[in-house]
Amino acid sequence: MSASPSVRPAPVARSMTLPPESLRLEGELPMAGAAVPFVEIEALRAREFIPAAKEALGSLISNRSRETLIGPVFNWAGRNSLFPLHWGLACCAIEFAAAFGARWDAERFGVVARSSPRQCDLMIVNGTVTWKVAHKLITLYEQMPEPKWVIAMGNCATGGGPFRTAYSVVPGVDKLVPVDVYIAGCPPRPEALLDGILTLEKLIRERKE
Amino acid sequence: MGPEELRAALAPALGPSLVGVEPFEGFAARVRFRREGATELFRAVHGLGNTHLSMVAGIDWVDHREVLYIVWSDAAKQYTLLSADLPADDPHIETASGVWPSANWHERETWELVDITFDHHPDLRHLLTPDGYEFRPLLRSFKIHEPEELEVKVRHV
Repeated sequence: MSASPSVRPAPVARSMTLPPESLRLEGELPMAGAAVPFVEIEALRAREFIPAAKEALGSLISNRSRETLIGPVFNWAGRNSLFPLHWGLACCAIEFAAAFGARWDAERFGVVARSSPRQCDLMIVNGTVTWKVAHKLITLYEQMPEPKWVIAMGNCATGGGPFRTAYSVVPGVDKLVPVDVYIAGCPPRPEALLDGILTLEKLIRERKE
Repeated sequence: MGPEELRAALAPALGPSLVGVEPFEGFAARVRFRREGATELFRAVHGLGNTHLSMVAGIDWVDHREVLYIVWSDAAKQYTLLSADLPADDPHIETASGVWPSANWHERETWELVDITFDHHPDLRHLLTPDGYEFRPLLRSFKIHEPEELEVKVRHV
């Protein structure tokens, strides 16, 4: 909880009594009779929500330690619902679009392109980055909530590509933002993009908190 | 409208600013003019039905520079090429954006790439390159930089 109390009141933890047994569905047995810690979720920021939710979940699962179960649960949820930013810089965006079309259907991996950076945790830099667009790219990256990842798609985003010595091209997007996965190709085929996303999922699986 | 008709139509308004009107492949004519009569030429050419400005470009001929305007007439279905030579040490010309508003961005591009200044332009700032970019990449004197060297100069403007 890094929020300053002078700016915003700390989230209020309350106890929520479960509904009477007659109203409860079967299958809620682990919680039966227990007072579940309840946090006003609406009052939380995203970076406050994750530790609060971990705490709530951890109190429900008492028999296993937090390190062995809770971290992997959030990791698993995150890597199976990677939301890339829906934007296109150059011709790689055509392959990016094809990867989300009917034939390759990236959505079967839980990858759904979102139009707002605030809903995204993955930035796929699909094209040539010029110095003119550089600060806008950094702004979009800063607007994405943590944890976030970057895939440099294609030769231009990886190292400037054929325009490396051009007067206006950033020689690799890793000059601007940290890159997790590089995909070679000019442009890479949709299979290569999907392979890059699956590689990123492996990296996230091995990630330590 | 052929070159001779164009010369007859433009000569009274321009006088000595009209250098010559000559045939040009694919165009109605090529009109060479001096920059002193630029505004009068733009108004006269626009008045002849050339209501669309297709492009503005600049060429660095090392000893001088040349600015080119390509205009299109919907009535005649013809392009006309307008060109003016500018001295290399002081390349400036009156803006055409008062006559053809679409000249605005074309002139910004020509200014930042070929370093031709357009006087009385409403908004002469960088279009394709970052603000404060010091290079004029389409000049012959521009040297290709190593990416790292360019980055240092561009990032900290």
